[in-house]
Parts: sequence; C-alpha cells; structure tokens
Amino acid sequence: MPARADEDKGELPSGTTMSSSSKAIAACALIIVACIGLLSFRSEVRSEEDRAWVRHTYLVVERLQAVRIDITEAETGQRAFMLTGEQTHLEQFDDGVSQLGQDMRELSDLSTDNAEQREAIKRLNPLIVARLEELGDGIDARRRSGFQAGVEAFRRANNGEKWMGQIAAQIGEMRHNEDQLLGTRLDTAAASTRKIKIVIVCGNALAILILVVKGFVIHRETGKRNLAEEHLKGANGRLERRTAELSETNIELESFAYSVAHDLRAPLRHIAGYSNVLVQDYGPSLDAGGLRCLGKIEECAHKMGCLVDDLLNLSQVGRQKLSIQDTLLGSLVEQVVEDLAPEYASREVEWRIGDLFSAECDSGLMKQVFVNLLSNAVKYTGKREHAVIEVGQTRQNGERIIFVRDNGAGFDMQYVGKLFGVFQRLHKARDFEGTGVGLAIVQRIIRKHGGRIWAEGVLDQGATFFFTIGSPENTTRKELELRLTEEETYVERS
Amino acid sequence: MSNEVEILLVEDSPEDAELTIRSLRRNKIANVIQVAEDGAEALDFLFCRDSHKDRTFVNPPKLVLLDLKLPKVGGMEVLRAIRADERTKAIPVVVLTSSKEERDLIEGYKLGVNAYAQKPVDFDQFNETVRQIGMFWMLVNQAPPPEAFAASTARED
Repeated sequence: MPARADEDKGELPSGTTMSSSSKAIAACALIIVACIGLLSFRSEVRSEEDRAWVRHTYLVVERLQAVRIDITEAETGQRAFMLTGEQTHLEQFDDGVSQLGQDMRELSDLSTDNAEQREAIKRLNPLIVARLEELGDGIDARRRSGFQAGVEAFRRANNGEKWMGQIAAQIGEMRHNEDQLLGTRLDTAAASTRKIKIVIVCGNALAILILVVKGFVIHRETGKRNLAEEHLKGANGRLERRTAELSETNIELESFAYSVAHDLRAPLRHIAGYSNVLVQDYGPSLDAGGLRCLGKIEECAHKMGCLVDDLLNLSQVGRQKLSIQDTLLGSLVEQVVEDLAPEYASREVEWRIGDLFSAECDSGLMKQVFVNLLSNAVKYTGKREHAVIEVGQTRQNGERIIFVRDNGAGFDMQYVGKLFGVFQRLHKARDFEGTGVGLAIVQRIIRKHGGRIWAEGVLDQGATFFFTIGSPENTTRKELELRLTEEETYVERS
Repeated sequence: MSNEVEILLVEDSPEDAELTIRSLRRNKIANVIQVAEDGAEALDFLFCRDSHKDRTFVNPPKLVLLDLKLPKVGGMEVLRAIRADERTKAIPVVVLTSSKEERDLIEGYKLGVNAYAQKPVDFDQFNETVRQIGMFWMLVNQAPPPEAFAASTARED
C-alpha cells in the first residue's frame, strides 16, 4: 500500500515551476503592453510637433501672400492718388505700407528658425524699401507739382516693373522654399502616423498572442492539476476504504481471538478442576499409572491455560487505549529488574543498565515491554554461568533506539522472521519454557506507539533486541488507531 | 446449623457452580448455598418473588457471588437492581468472573460492587481464590446488621 501512495504522489506536477512560468508569461505581456503605451505616447507627441510645423509653414505662406497683397494695395492706392489726387487714396497707400511693415515683421518672426528664409527676407527687404521709395517719390511729385508731374514721375519710374518682378521672384522663391518644407513636414507627419499605427497594431497583436498562449498554458496546467487532484482523491478514497476495511478486519480478528480465548478458559478450568477432584476423591483407588495420567491432564490443562491467558493478553493489548505520558524509562527498567529478582535469585546475573531517555509513551504497556524482553533475557541466559544482560540506548539517523542485549542462547538469524509471530518458538520447550506470545505482545505494543522493533542474534552467543518509540510525527496515526479502538464493537464477556 | 441461605451463587455453568460449592464446603466456609442459574432467578430470590415469595427481606444472604455473563438478565443488571433498592442495597456482592475487562471493572465498582475477582484457569489457584473470598466475607467481615434491611421494610409499610 505505501508503494501505491508513492506512485500516486510521483504523478503530481510540480507546483512551483507551473506558477513561475505562468508568472513569466504574464510579466512579458504586461511589459509589451506598457511598451506599446510608451511608444504610442511618444509617437503622438512627435506627430503633434509635426502638425505644428505644418501649421507654421501654412502661416509663412499666408504671410508671404499677405506681403504681395500689401504691396499691391499700396500700389493701387498710389496710382489712384496719382490719377485723382484725392486724399482717401493716399490713406489706402498708407494702410498698405503699414500693413506691409506689420506682415514683414511677422514673416521675420516666423522665420527665426530658418536661416535660408532669413537670408531671403534680407534680400526681399531692400527690394520692398526701394519699391516703396519709388512709390513715395511719385506721390511727392504729384503732391508738389500736380497731375502731370505725377504722370512724369510714374513714367520715369518704370523701374517699378523691375522691382516688382524681383519682389515677386523673391517671394516666389520663399514660397517655393516653404512649399518644399511643407512637403517634407507633411511626409514626416504621415510617416509618424504610419509608425504609430504599425506599433499599435503589431504590439496589440503580440500582447493578444501572448495572452492567448498564457491562457492556453493555464488551461493545460489546470487540466493537469485537476487530473492529478482527481487521481489523488481517488487514491485517498482507495486508501481510506482500505484502512477502514483493514481496521474492520482487525477488530473482527481481535474480537474473535478474545472470545475464543475467553470461551476456552471455562472448559479448561473444568478439566483441571475435575481431574483434581478425581485425585482428591478417588486417588486411593487408582494405581500409579492412573495417577500419572491424571497428573498429565492437569499439566496440559495448565499449559493450555497459560496459552489462552497470553492470547487474551495479546488481544487486550491490541484493543487497549494508549494513555500517553512522559515516562522515565530508566526507573521503569530498574523496577522491572527488581520485580524479576525471584527468577534469577539463584544465579549469577550481571546487569548493565545504561542511561535511558524519558519518552512519551503508555508507561504500563512500556513496562510490559521491558518485563517481556528482560524476562526473556533472564530465561535464555539460564544456562550461562555468568549471565550478562545489558539495557542501553543508541542513536541512528537521528532516531533514538533502545536495546536489550544478552549473552544467552541466541537464535539463528535464518529464523528472525518468525521471532515476533504468535506461538512461534525458536527453542524446544524442553530447553526453555514459554508460549511464544511474549515477543508478539512486545511488537504489538511498540507498533501501537508508532515505533519499530527488530532483533539480531547469533546461535549460542546471545541476542539483541532493538526498538524505537514512536516520534511525535506518528501521533496522528496513533490517534487514528486510538479512535478505531474506541469505535470497535465490544466483545462478549462473561 | 440453620437453613438460612448463607451464600447466593449466581452462576450459569453447572461445572463452575459445582467446583465452587465443593471448594467452599471443603474449606468449611458455608453449608447453605443457593445457586441461581441466571440473573432473573437471582432477582426472584433476592426480591422474594415467585418461587421465593416465602422469603423475607430481613434474611438476606450474607454474600452474593455474582458471575457477569449470564443468560436472560446479565450480572451487571443484577448488581444494578440490588444497589437500586433500599431493601437489598446493603447486601455484600462479590463479582467472580472470567472477565478482567477494564470496562467491566470500572462499571462494577461504579455500581457499588464490594469486591471483584477473576476465576483463575489453574484449579489450585481457583480453589485458593474461592477460599479467600469465602473466608473473608463469611468469617472475617462483619455482616450488615438486620436493621440495615429491616429499616427500609418498616418505611415501606
């Protein structure tokens, strides 16, 4: 059954790698989404700048056109004045000039960033000034000397065409520059927008892809985990059913053993009793052979009585509730050695009792363990002139182990498996008396405590019994066993 | 010797009853021993009913030797009935049984049993146990005076 549990455990996916890979994917998706956000923000800022430049270019072009209109306005005003001499036309001229000044200043302000345009403005300025001077000269002549002089001046000033041509060319050049700039800037803005689109589309697609992958991975892992859980549940269920079955069987067996042993006692007592009565009442009329037979009957009944009593003890240990308390094993052993004194009074027995730890155990049952082990040791060293019985503790893999060693008859390791079986004996009754239940009781008590017991021996040299007393980890199992003991059906009694 | 019952032996096994009686007689402890083969018969005797209606509560047995595993009415029930009634409450009761179950011991003492002994398998030991119980309760122990039973009868009237 333990192998089964291991196998079930082995199929479980490792929980830590599952969550870490899942976390990595989630982090990846998060980073990508954040990058997309950052990139699109930056692109948006840049495209805003691009649009501002486009607007700027439009403004410059507008100003350039305004300059041309202003000049034309001034010219129109001057011509009208020249023709009519009316003051209102002079005002139109002045408006044009002042508007021109303002537009030129604005143009100059707009072109601070562009060296080429600044140069162009520098070239444009004297042309405009020259043209305005010419127009101004015409006005002065008209004002001073009348219409004819004005016409003369106008005619003389055929440089006007030249100036205007140059001005137009200059403005045209500037316009051309700005148009080129506009083209570039529009291209840049379009490129930025395209880039944003690409970034957003690709980024989102990637993020979605990652999330889909993650979803798939989670789905698969959840599936795997669910499967493992199902498996574990199944295994647990099987285990619980098996445990229940086993404990039921155990209880049945214990009850059976108890009632058999119990019911056997009465007829045994009667056999012994009536053969005794026979000896007492009819002894005189029996011959030696008859009396010997009656003696044998009593002897056998006695032996069977011992067997039955041991069996009862064994089943009682199995059903008994543990009452756990802190127990000084050292003083327990001393007490047992003292109690056993009558059994070795006529012999030379050397006791070597080492320091023993105190343990959480049922002190009554633990005493039984030492009684059985030590009386065994006393019994099997019966043929030694100098018997040595040692009780001590040792430590192995962090586990405390108690041992009982003797230099007695020992046993053949070949039969070690039979040592703890009920009614199993490795020695002839003629050599050593016994029912073969003592070690079975010891084993049952140790197991009840969640401990282990084992033995080593060499024939004719001695035997050592080792045992552990359950660790606190075993408490739950022990408690389970306790509960089972409590729940078991009560055996018939008399 | 009067023929007042000295010991009521409640025992369903005729062999056990015979061997117990033999042991008591051989040790000259008691002559008049009444055997009840089940709990119901024991209660009839103790409570002077049916075939025992001629008896009176003022002359109870000096000792009840009680087995636990009995047909009809169990030993514990008999003990409970004895202790529950003022007229029988003071009768010394000793459990003599095969069981030494802790539960039985606890329940027996809680119900007010005076002593509890296990029947040993070994006949010599069995003899000795019966002898000691008989010796103590019939010879050493001071039995309850008749008033212990009569007083309650008076009250009942």
